[in-house]
Amino acid sequence: MDKRTNQLKTVAYNLLSVAIVALLWTMFAAWQNSPYFPSPAEIWKAFVGLATKGDIEGVSLSAHIWASLVRIFAGFVAACVLGIPLGLAMGLWPKLYNRTRAILEPIRFIPPIAWIPMAIVLLVGFGRYVFLIWLGAFFPIFITTLLSVTRVNPVHVNVAKVFGAKRSYIIRKIVIPSVLPDIATGMRVGLGIAWMCIVAAEMIGGEMVGIGRLILKYAELLRMGEIIVGMLVIGIIGFIMNEIFIMVENRLFRWRSEVSID
Amino acid sequence: MNTRKAKIQVKDLSKHFGELVVLSHMNFDIYDGEFLCVVGPTGCGKTTFCNVVTRLLPSTDGSVTVEDEPVNFKKHNIAFVFQEPSCLPWRTVWDNVKIGLEIKGYSKKDIKDKVSEVLELTGLTKFKDFFPNQISAGMKQRVAIARSFVTEPDMLLMDEPFGQLDTSTRFHIESSLVKLWERKKQTIIFVTHNLEEAVYMSERILVCTPKPTTIKKEVQVGHLPHPRDITDPEFVRIRREVTDLVRWW
Repeated sequence: MDKRTNQLKTVAYNLLSVAIVALLWTMFAAWQNSPYFPSPAEIWKAFVGLATKGDIEGVSLSAHIWASLVRIFAGFVAACVLGIPLGLAMGLWPKLYNRTRAILEPIRFIPPIAWIPMAIVLLVGFGRYVFLIWLGAFFPIFITTLLSVTRVNPVHVNVAKVFGAKRSYIIRKIVIPSVLPDIATGMRVGLGIAWMCIVAAEMIGGEMVGIGRLILKYAELLRMGEIIVGMLVIGIIGFIMNEIFIMVENRLFRWRSEVSID
Repeated sequence: MNTRKAKIQVKDLSKHFGELVVLSHMNFDIYDGEFLCVVGPTGCGKTTFCNVVTRLLPSTDGSVTVEDEPVNFKKHNIAFVFQEPSCLPWRTVWDNVKIGLEIKGYSKKDIKDKVSEVLELTGLTKFKDFFPNQISAGMKQRVAIARSFVTEPDMLLMDEPFGQLDTSTRFHIESSLVKLWERKKQTIIFVTHNLEEAVYMSERILVCTPKPTTIKKEVQVGHLPHPRDITDPEFVRIRREVTDLVRWW
């Protein structure tokens, strides 16, 4: 079977699984007959309402999505800008990590959500959200970068060394290409955690826009249709971002062996 | 008496890992353009020998000099074909082969000419744009050989480079290597535990003892012309001689 047919088949199976879940959901909602378990049709109606008329305060769905996306982007970029160079530096100079791990490691285990009260007190507005997303995304990116440097194949380093390569060449041409796929994986994990953080932060953060805030507004009114719209929007945006990431990874790292257990 | 000029001199070379003596007082010369094979049993320290000779590992005692100077990667032109797969997976065949020239600062034109030539010699021209995961294990080793030959090294070390290949691929690559060496006349130290391979390719064989590794005997093979016939009585005699040396371990 050629690659194109295989891709089409995968898409068809995914659409089929979505259709089956929607059907089961509809049947379960009909059986429950409860305002707290809306059917897919009711959720669609809630979505159309939010998209065309906005929420109860008149804020449109696109404004909520945009606010969350901008916050995610800023925090995620900050996490990459700090996490990748720091992970590389500490991987290349392990003493740097060994001598600071008593600070880094305990911070890593504090959930970003636990920082929310402090962020509310010490920071304002946009910075509050960026800080929390940065905190959530930073450690997966930093740790995967750090560990990937220690796993660089020594034979690859020796190949360059015997030809008389300088340390800077080895870092640029051997270490960095070796660790890039792992960094990309860390970034994908970091992006997932960034979404978890932003929703939690927006629920408590005080501003009236953002998908987390949208969910909370309708939670207070017990309107499950709009709540589920908010949840699905997060899931779909996260899914699209992940797919884009995978496409870029496949393009950039097409040299990697494809492993199959078929 | 050998009248050839000694290019590489190994004097009293020893390597210890704590209490474990791996190499013990090894002494030998390698002549300019010579194809030298070092044979020894598996686990005798052949890879350590290669790493110490190239100074990827420091020696405990003794010295290795190239033209009377201590081995220095930046000063001397050294190449190494490793036992394990060593192609850089993110580089194409072409980019893998050119890495040594790139590090040594050759011009783009020189790189293009030299890489094209060596790819032609190793039969890899058609695969120049392939990544290592798209070619066979035998071709990957040919890439490693092409990469080491392209810089025209003063010293080329090959550490059991064909250990993971099947017999027919191995025989094919061995023949290609000999042809390449006949054309380029690089100084080669080829480390192996395969006695027939050593007799088939080299001019001289150093037979090593098990740990602590030292040189047991030198066997001359240079008088046999290439390509060698493995059924030739002289070939069989030399192989028997080396095998007898091995048998007494």
